[in-house]
Amino acid sequence: MKRWPIVPCAAVFAAALLASPAVEARTKLAALPEREANLVRLDNPSATLVEEERVLTLQEGENLVDFSWRGVRVDPDSIRIALLSHPDKANLLSVSYPPNEAALTWRIHSNGAWEERVRISYLLADIDRLVTYKALATRDEKALDLDAFLVLRNFSGEDFEAATVSLDQGDPFAGKIAHEETRQLHFLSFKGVPIRKVFTWDSGKIPWEPKRLDRNVGIPVCYVIRNDKASSMGMSGLWEGKTRVFQDDGHGTTIFLGEDRVGKTPVGEEMKIYIGDSRDISVTQLKKRDLRINPRPSASRVVLYDTDEAITARLENFKDQAVTVDLVEHIPGEWDMEKTDLAYEKTDANTIVFHVMLPAKGKVELEFAYHRRNIRN
Amino acid sequence: MSKTKRMPAFTFFALSLLAACLAAGQVFAKVDLVTLPARDKVQLTIYNSADLTLARDTRSLTLRKGRNRLQFSWANTLIDPTSLEMLPLSESRGILVRSLEYPPRVTGLGIWNLDSQVQGKVPFEITYFTSGISWRAYYLATLASDESTMRLEGYVRVNNNSGEDYENAETRLIVGKINLLDRIAELARRQEPYGRPGAVSPGVLPQPAYAAKYRMEEAAVGAKAAMEAPKEIRKEGLSEYFLYTIEGTEDVPDGWGKRLVSFAADTVPVRNLYRYEEEKYGQSSVRFLLFANDKEHRLGKEPIPDGLVKVFRRVDKEGRLSYVGAQDIKYVPKGEEVNLNLGSSDQVLVKPVLMEFTTDNYEWRDTHVITGWDEHRTVRVEVANYRDIPAKVEIRRNFPGNAWTLSNKGDYGAYEKVDADTVQYVIELPAHARKAFTYKLDLRTGSRAHR
Repeated sequence: MKRWPIVPCAAVFAAALLASPAVEARTKLAALPEREANLVRLDNPSATLVEEERVLTLQEGENLVDFSWRGVRVDPDSIRIALLSHPDKANLLSVSYPPNEAALTWRIHSNGAWEERVRISYLLADIDRLVTYKALATRDEKALDLDAFLVLRNFSGEDFEAATVSLDQGDPFAGKIAHEETRQLHFLSFKGVPIRKVFTWDSGKIPWEPKRLDRNVGIPVCYVIRNDKASSMGMSGLWEGKTRVFQDDGHGTTIFLGEDRVGKTPVGEEMKIYIGDSRDISVTQLKKRDLRINPRPSASRVVLYDTDEAITARLENFKDQAVTVDLVEHIPGEWDMEKTDLAYEKTDANTIVFHVMLPAKGKVELEFAYHRRNIRN
Repeated sequence: MSKTKRMPAFTFFALSLLAACLAAGQVFAKVDLVTLPARDKVQLTIYNSADLTLARDTRSLTLRKGRNRLQFSWANTLIDPTSLEMLPLSESRGILVRSLEYPPRVTGLGIWNLDSQVQGKVPFEITYFTSGISWRAYYLATLASDESTMRLEGYVRVNNNSGEDYENAETRLIVGKINLLDRIAELARRQEPYGRPGAVSPGVLPQPAYAAKYRMEEAAVGAKAAMEAPKEIRKEGLSEYFLYTIEGTEDVPDGWGKRLVSFAADTVPVRNLYRYEEEKYGQSSVRFLLFANDKEHRLGKEPIPDGLVKVFRRVDKEGRLSYVGAQDIKYVPKGEEVNLNLGSSDQVLVKPVLMEFTTDNYEWRDTHVITGWDEHRTVRVEVANYRDIPAKVEIRRNFPGNAWTLSNKGDYGAYEKVDADTVQYVIELPAHARKAFTYKLDLRTGSRAHR
């Protein structure tokens, strides 16, 4: 790929030259002002902001400064220049874009001849960052260590030799990153974060009679951690990213438990990591009763009716440890619970969750019955 | 089977601090090579639910004080570059792994930057995911001639098509279903380890030619396995998975496979059960072999991973065998019952015949629109066992709608209403016996169902 570094050029002009709009007016100077500081700001996942500082030599009167970015995807409308050394004695008069060129020209008026430090900022495409996490759970799955890695991907066309990379969390750090380079950096570490292990059986997602299927039906298992002080976290929100979970196997090495893409986790919120499926817990659910009742206005002329439905769920734990399974049930429309073996949590109008404690090697049978109301025929 | 000895595709070396040589992409000439440490130890943890192996290499690296750059190359392997991790096994306080660079315009190469306060040899552990190594379980079951017991042998078969030879590898197998977002083989073929910004589908390199190059020849494996003394496999539960560790180490060269005995159990009691359910199996009965993964069945020490079971039957005193059939079994937790489907059988007949059909109790509106009625069906079910041994038959009938009543007559065995629209009959038949029963179904339809 042919690349062209971003080069600002300062030119000093006689007034005569200004009269002509021709491209040759923007004479490239041999002595390019070096970048003196470069900040790559990666706090917004949708665009990367680059701020670079350079020192220009300004003449008294009007100066033209040429800035070009051939081969590099700069958003031209986002380019800004700030005069830092003499903000009250120099000002930007205009910005012009020459035809068919990835370039612009700043017209700057200066009250004197001096060196002017300027900050040029722009949005640069094809450079971004990802975050990945590695979690290492203890053998007993009570806690985990979480490491966050920053992955810088630079395909912008620009080599950054000595850039300061700034994020919205962690300290900014210095580094270089070449065009087409990817770099992975360790940037956050949390130790001993308590885990809540959650087994979820959702009646809307998982087959009701797994024994009648030829394939295995697993129950999704998640680790839930909370981004707060009590969990040795909570310093800042955590970005979304791929999380790979390992576990200490008790032999000085680890096994891989699974991976998930976790969402953005603000301080105080929970991060849920789906690691894999448990095949040592089985849930079989049957609809034992499904009747239409209460026909209105009459049995032979039904406009509205209710139902009488009964469900039995059999949960079996083949593990040597007790577990709690969240049994998620969906009841459409309006309904009244008529009978239930176990209290439930109503998470919305049509969803209830039973938290079923299953002893090691134990079985639990749960029955509940409800009427759905005012169903239109 | 002959195989030319290849240099390991996977190389690792330390570069001196000459950062200058890194400036140009293709100049990763191995000029500044300081050491090329051999792999001291390798551990493979192979998954069966996904094409994934967690490899753990131990290597001694020679470090100098200050900044060290360590180059790692994995060209022509199926390694996922995003999974690479390097950690010191000792002196961890004095060594800081700062970053991992994937240099521009080079594939299959990474450079670790680390700061060291120690000088000299330090053992490091490098972990990564690779695809191309797989394992599966399979089983051979041999029924006694009376079919009341069987011998069950479990095997595991490991295949290496990863492009990398693993010698003296500690081999571990994971049973379980992990959640995986991307296929490791695809990550391994990406042009850029993490893709490009904004790319919808990351660039993928053409599939390496070796992926299909090696096909294991069963004869060669058989011969090799026969020469080795059987190794023990240690089994333990971890999280929701089971970890099998094969005793000692194994050489797993690229292209090769291994067969190992996982367990063997004699005189496992089994029950024969014939199932009949038109909606599920069609109009013939299906034979099942029932046993449980528990102590009563001389099993139950560990879950049984999913795999193909080939069932044979001993037919004479000389131990000659007859092949009964094969069936994939699902993963069986400790304590769970196994229902091994041996396919449809013409040795047990179940024949439901509709003997009578009437309707009544019609309801209508507007003088001509029928809104509901009742149906009455009488069905006679004949069951016959043509075998020399007794048979147990489980018959399921599913009824439409949800407003029905049923009455049974005759030799209907054990009757159970399974759920709102299913009933079940279990009938025991001696050898060469016949039985019959009748059920009468009264079904309310349409507006008659609103009661």
